[in-house]
Amino acid sequence: MDEWKPNPAAKPHKKRSWYLAWKYKLMNQRALRKLCQTGAVLFLLVTVIVNIKLILDTRRAAYEEEEESAQDYDDEMLNVEVLRHPVSNKKVLDVEVYSSRSKVYVAVDGTTVLEDEAREQGRGIHVIVLNQATGHVMAKRVFDTYSPHEDEAMVLFLNMVARGRILIFTIKDEGSFHLKDTAKNVLKSLGSQVAPFLSWRDMWTFVGKKGGEVYGEKHAKSPALSTWGDPVLLKTEVHLTSVEDAECHWPDTELNRRRKRFCSKVEGYGSVCSCKDPTPIEFNPDPLKDNKVFDVPVAVIAGNRPNYLYRMLRSLLSAQGVNPQMITVFIDGYYEEPMDVVELFGLSGIQHTPISIKNARVSQHYKASLTATFNLFPDAKFAVVLEEDLDISVDFFSFLSQSIHLLEEDESLYCISAWNDQGYEHTAEDPSLLYRVETMPGLGWVLRKSLYKDELEPKWPTPEKLWDWDMWMRMPEQRKGRECIIPDISRSYHFGIVGLNMNGYFHEAYFKKHKFNTVPNVQLKNVESLRKDAYETEIHRLLGEAEVLDHSKNPCEDSFVPDTEGRIYVMFIRMEQEADFTTWTQLAKCLHIWDLDVRGNHKGLWRLFRKKNHFLVVGVPASPYSSKKPSSVTPIYMEPPAKEEGAGAVPAVPAAEQT
Amino acid sequence: MQKINKNVVLALLSLTSLVFLLFQLYYYRFYLSHKSGAAFSKVRGSQSGQDSTRWHVVRKFLGLISSHNIQVYLIDPFILELVDKDIEQIRSSPDGPSPECKYFCAPRDFTTFALLDKTWKHEGGLFRTAEKMGFQWLKIINKDPRLDGMDDLSGIEIPLHYIFKLASHAIHLVVFYERSGNYLWHGPLRLKQHMDRKFVPFRKLHFGRYPGAYEKPELLPVSIDDLKVQIPKNPSSFLEEMSHSRFLECRYREARAFFQLYPDDASLDAVEFRKKAKSLLHLAALTLNNLGVKFWLSSGTCLGWYRQCSVIPHSKDVDLGVFIRDYKADIIPAFQKAGLPLKHKFGKVEDSLELSFQGEDDVKLDIFFFYEGEDHIWNGGTQAKSGKKFKYLFPKFTLCWTEFIELKVHVPCETLQYVEANYGPDWKVPVKMWDWKSSPSNVQYNGVWPVDEWDDVIQIY
Repeated sequence: MDEWKPNPAAKPHKKRSWYLAWKYKLMNQRALRKLCQTGAVLFLLVTVIVNIKLILDTRRAAYEEEEESAQDYDDEMLNVEVLRHPVSNKKVLDVEVYSSRSKVYVAVDGTTVLEDEAREQGRGIHVIVLNQATGHVMAKRVFDTYSPHEDEAMVLFLNMVARGRILIFTIKDEGSFHLKDTAKNVLKSLGSQVAPFLSWRDMWTFVGKKGGEVYGEKHAKSPALSTWGDPVLLKTEVHLTSVEDAECHWPDTELNRRRKRFCSKVEGYGSVCSCKDPTPIEFNPDPLKDNKVFDVPVAVIAGNRPNYLYRMLRSLLSAQGVNPQMITVFIDGYYEEPMDVVELFGLSGIQHTPISIKNARVSQHYKASLTATFNLFPDAKFAVVLEEDLDISVDFFSFLSQSIHLLEEDESLYCISAWNDQGYEHTAEDPSLLYRVETMPGLGWVLRKSLYKDELEPKWPTPEKLWDWDMWMRMPEQRKGRECIIPDISRSYHFGIVGLNMNGYFHEAYFKKHKFNTVPNVQLKNVESLRKDAYETEIHRLLGEAEVLDHSKNPCEDSFVPDTEGRIYVMFIRMEQEADFTTWTQLAKCLHIWDLDVRGNHKGLWRLFRKKNHFLVVGVPASPYSSKKPSSVTPIYMEPPAKEEGAGAVPAVPAAEQT
Repeated sequence: MQKINKNVVLALLSLTSLVFLLFQLYYYRFYLSHKSGAAFSKVRGSQSGQDSTRWHVVRKFLGLISSHNIQVYLIDPFILELVDKDIEQIRSSPDGPSPECKYFCAPRDFTTFALLDKTWKHEGGLFRTAEKMGFQWLKIINKDPRLDGMDDLSGIEIPLHYIFKLASHAIHLVVFYERSGNYLWHGPLRLKQHMDRKFVPFRKLHFGRYPGAYEKPELLPVSIDDLKVQIPKNPSSFLEEMSHSRFLECRYREARAFFQLYPDDASLDAVEFRKKAKSLLHLAALTLNNLGVKFWLSSGTCLGWYRQCSVIPHSKDVDLGVFIRDYKADIIPAFQKAGLPLKHKFGKVEDSLELSFQGEDDVKLDIFFFYEGEDHIWNGGTQAKSGKKFKYLFPKFTLCWTEFIELKVHVPCETLQYVEANYGPDWKVPVKMWDWKSSPSNVQYNGVWPVDEWDDVIQIY
């Protein structure tokens, strides 16, 4: 300021003179000065007003926003925060394992991870796998090694467990009767000193790391055949490793992220979790040309058998023409591991709160699953229904694509099924051949939406009726004389050994020898002749060409059918009326095919193969095809064995095959 | 000297305040343009070409979507409105370059697109690419309503809305699901607790305040503002549909509770009646929809929907409501053609009209016509033998969509008031003996038809 303070004494600089002169003038003009002042005040006022308005607007907007978003857009449900387990930095786990006749339990750091004191259940060797870095339970299994083949399953399982995992074993009741040397050797290789000498009703606990140290083992010998060993309680400590060491380092892709999530949670799935060259979890089978079932939803009905589900989904996703988008897995109960399997494959899964018990529970689960399927895919006219214990043939969708139009057009059809009840290794031959049968085989089948929505759903058995859904569907009130289409060689294979109506003996007797198609792209040959009337023409043609077998021979003998190939033979059995299956049942028994109830018949006619010849069985006189019987032939009659024998080797199991 | 000083200070002050004021005015204008874009859209939209952020964000988004082979279509109401005005021109030259940026340059916070759920595979890759391109995104998930009606199925939550934000613009992607009844459904937008409430100004979104039901649209690929997009073939009818699209979910939980108290009738008769009622309702809906007559579930059918999400097995008929302004003389012949002969007709168009059609095996279809009063809506009833008239009063209501026995139908949005008016506060208790003349709580005696009109107003076949 000072520098340009005018100095009256000094002569002003020339440059500034005009400016100063102007200033003096201004000063002297009061009016102008006033004007400037008012102007300034005005500016100030406007500024203040604009400012205030701005502030008010902003505040209002902000308020409204909060108000509205609070009112309209808040989820009414409180998001329940899942309590996360505190990440313990503890390096040591305390493990307690108890083995006795009636109770087993395993506690890790004071938390019980296994407790089984139910009567008549859980017999055998219980195995628990822990993550060596976190101590989490990755797998829980029980192998009833009192029964045959369970030890093989245990060996298979133990081989699949990754190195470094912590394994805990304990026996409930009895675990040695069918524990063979192979299994004992595997246990020995894990570090068990006692396993090779385990015997009848011994109690045993063991904790060790796969491929590493032994943390503890206890054993109590049974003093006599009729008594059990004393209960044993093993307390030990397990040292944890770092997370880094416990995980594999796969390249970071979406697939591997799913794999990683899966493999750090569960155990017992083998090479899918190998660090080196893990098995793929995406399959990309060849697409089908002109795939008519690409948009058909697939409902997979599952319970808590995650290993089965894993095997099943692998085969399903490898089948040509599969559309993973259409697959939904319905899990009966809030089981985590099946859901983990579903997520591993990137499929969608739905859990179902169990309603009712046993067979009715399965039945309610089926109903909910089917209804949900048609809700989720409202466009669909059909749904494919599969179960978790089935292998799916590579040409499953090709088979359906070629035949599904029949279900749409032929009102007399009830379903298409991938399963031939009578299609065993020795009785099925032609992958391109289809039949019409009066029974509903299930085990991989197609359901028409209209049938479900209009007929089945409204009167589905209610939870208090302890019915099998499949038996109910087979009842005449439901089936109303309609038939199912089945292939000669099944497109599904039932591998489930554990299940509601299933056990090892039963599986071996009735399912193991079932034929399963492995040929891709089979061109079906007689699709059009499966329509209601065309099929009759076809049957008459077959019977016309067929050679009548020698009815004086015993049909159970191998020599009953000549050693030829590609011929058609017919035999006649006695069948007094439509429901008389006495002789058929005996014949089925000696042919080693399904004999627990009548399956695979069409108007008193059965079609199968023997020694690569087509073999027709006609029930006389009930069947309309009886007219084809030469008058010289007497229908064969086979007497049922006396009651005592009849109860024989096969345990009486109703309704057999589902789950 | 003092005076000079003062003046200089004054001048400086004035200058500063002028600059400040100008800055504020500029800023306020900018603020205004954000707040109510419409006023400025024309100015900015017609400004030189395609420089707006919005256009760039939309272009980027469309690039992202097409690189993942996902199909979306434009449902932004503001743009569709503009497009609708020029629809002829746009249709005739689907690929022509546009001279100016007319549609995508109006400064807005959002552009809205629709995605059909069944046309994409829920790939995580999309979001990773989006992030790489600079988008921030938000996914809003919720329960799957298609499984809601089911006993205790707990599905995975499904995505209902996505928001992709880049710079100052956001893309709102509404996911449409196909549901039983051959229609499309989108969910409400509800924020969960941990979500960022300030991610975008949610209240300005056009979709998401309520769930909505739509017909499956026919799509038209067009190029507007040099962007290739799909739009509904008929934008104006889409916009019309949008204004009445609110959807009500059936109250499945309450229905389950109801059946716990009063177990469902599972007898063969009940199953049979339900089947017939369902096919009758489907047939009636088809017939009325073909005529373009808007109708809703009324009386017992509405109660069945509201209380138990199913047909009441002892109700013996199907009841529909129609506003008298939607009455068409073709209704009777159309039903006759559909195989439903007229059973009786009470009243006349001017007063208390009611039509009954004979369905299969004694199942009757009643259509009540509703008249608008000052502060209420009413329909009439007539007793055939005495010529007595009755009036049933309802509080005013609007119509919402719902799904009922695999059909997309209207119900009064204010269903509770409607049901309570008709059945009183005890509507939750099933009543088997129902007299339509005395049982309803909203019935009023309304005089007697003059005897000379009886032939016209009481017709029984």
